[in-house]
Amino acid sequence: MIAPYLALLIAFGVVPIIVAAVTSMEPSALNPGGGPLNYLQALEDFRFLPALGNVGVFLLLYVPTMLIVVAGMSLLLDTVRGRWNVSLRLAYIVPASLTGASAVLVWYFLLEPTLSPYQDILRALGITQGGQIWRSENLAWIFALMAFFTGAGNWIVVQYGSLQSISEDILEAARIDGANAWQIGWHIKLPLIQKYIVYMGILVFAAGLQVFVEPQLISSSVYPGLAANWSLNQLSYSFAFQSNNLGGAAALSLMLLIVCIVGAVFVIFRTDFFEGSGVKEK
Amino acid sequence: MTSILEAEPIINRSASKVHLPEKLTAAGRVGRTGVWVVLLVYGLLSVVPMVWLLIAPSKTAAQLNNDAPFSFGSFANYGSAWEHLLTFQDGVLVRWLLNSVVYTVAIVLLSCVSAILAGYALAVTAIPFKRTLLIVTLVAMIIPPVALVIPLFIEISNAQLFDTPAAVILTSSFYPFGVFLAYIYFSTSIPKELYEAAKVDGAGEFATFWRIALPLSKGLFGMLAFFSFSASWVNFFLPYVLLGSAENFTLPVGLGVLFSSTPALNPGNGAQQSVIGRPEIALAGLILAIPILIVFLLSSRLLVRGVLSGSVKS
Repeated sequence: MIAPYLALLIAFGVVPIIVAAVTSMEPSALNPGGGPLNYLQALEDFRFLPALGNVGVFLLLYVPTMLIVVAGMSLLLDTVRGRWNVSLRLAYIVPASLTGASAVLVWYFLLEPTLSPYQDILRALGITQGGQIWRSENLAWIFALMAFFTGAGNWIVVQYGSLQSISEDILEAARIDGANAWQIGWHIKLPLIQKYIVYMGILVFAAGLQVFVEPQLISSSVYPGLAANWSLNQLSYSFAFQSNNLGGAAALSLMLLIVCIVGAVFVIFRTDFFEGSGVKEK
Repeated sequence: MTSILEAEPIINRSASKVHLPEKLTAAGRVGRTGVWVVLLVYGLLSVVPMVWLLIAPSKTAAQLNNDAPFSFGSFANYGSAWEHLLTFQDGVLVRWLLNSVVYTVAIVLLSCVSAILAGYALAVTAIPFKRTLLIVTLVAMIIPPVALVIPLFIEISNAQLFDTPAAVILTSSFYPFGVFLAYIYFSTSIPKELYEAAKVDGAGEFATFWRIALPLSKGLFGMLAFFSFSASWVNFFLPYVLLGSAENFTLPVGLGVLFSSTPALNPGNGAQQSVIGRPEIALAGLILAIPILIVFLLSSRLLVRGVLSGSVKS
């Protein structure tokens, strides 16, 4: 019964990594001898450090914002009951339906002062043309904003769900001890959902590290070249499809993959998130 | 990022919730009002882009520029925007839409069936290397799918599958998250005694699965299909890299083509006289977003109430 999944796991989970590892040692025009030099050349490419810096700034903006806003909003949401709670949750998951290409489209409109629903705010800030916003020094902010709005709502609903697992007895005891809503949230609820927040942080970090769609679409069409090779994945894509350097592309994507695998192993073995799932030794 | 939406072990608290009337001090009332303001403002910020996108194709390009952002044009404009979209490369948009539907249906079926079978095998049957398989599945589930795109591209080109629907369908059907959800479901939600009773009656593994587990898995199947659908319908990077010709593209990749070959978003692109303007491209974006929106709104009820909690109750 496990055969179909096992076949998919091997074919599209394990084999691609092996194929990429082999490819990453192959010679290219840049490195006729092949071998580990591909890795070094990928790191020494003049576009690598800027891309690393871009993704770093992006992650610094995106990950903490996600953690703080999602934790805060889910705690606030947890203080509301009934129909309002349901409606708010429905509203919060709406942005998740605008991802990838449609997110780029919508954010193009949102940041275009002649079209934006926020045009009054934009004009008050002195912005009359989209070109004033879409500048290379603002890109990390823009992409962080896009990624944040796409993902935060769903995570708020999820973390609200994890708050529901806190036993009512604990909260009742705290209330009897005279704790106010703020103290209960900060000292009791938050520590109790900490592992879910850590888990989210790692997933969000791993996904953010791989940012590709938004800069690629903006750069290939809307503002040509603005975000070319902006992210590490775009650079890997360029190696493969523009420089005809598959070895370098494979090397770079394997290095990114390893960071994600380390994050995954950390979640599984160093946090108690998957406790009770039968993964850890008893 | 939605991919873990329902994995948390959740016990439904609201049923047993007792409300104590709380006396609010003046400071408490201010705090309460503040909480409501934050919650409502965030809700508003969440729906504004979607509402705007819903309304945009009702207006002409000139109305979009000149009228108030939330004014409504006319229903007829949706029709004419659609007509205009159809003129783009002999109606290739319909082809993309069709491709997206076909690929997504195939992916949802393959991924869910393989995930349910594997989850059941891992939870209930005795198979070798169970723990190793679980760990590999978890690692694969946590790694963002984007991380494997370039390696998959190399593999797929070596296998001569580049630019075929099978390339996208097969690679996207690998669904470790679904396996994990199914595994948790079968090991916690269905009492072990049920499986054992069936085995005592002489049923084999597959018969037990077919007669006992499967009839109890409708909710699980819905949940798996929900996540599989929402991931594959909007997937961009993988089909973007694995497909080469426009006739094989999916809607998200096609939307990217519209961005770069019409003057809608960048007046410097394409023919100036193109009829594909902003209302048209907004409509194309809307067609991509609407199915996800509908599925999300319909499933959220299951999601936030019972199903997620019920399925992983420990």
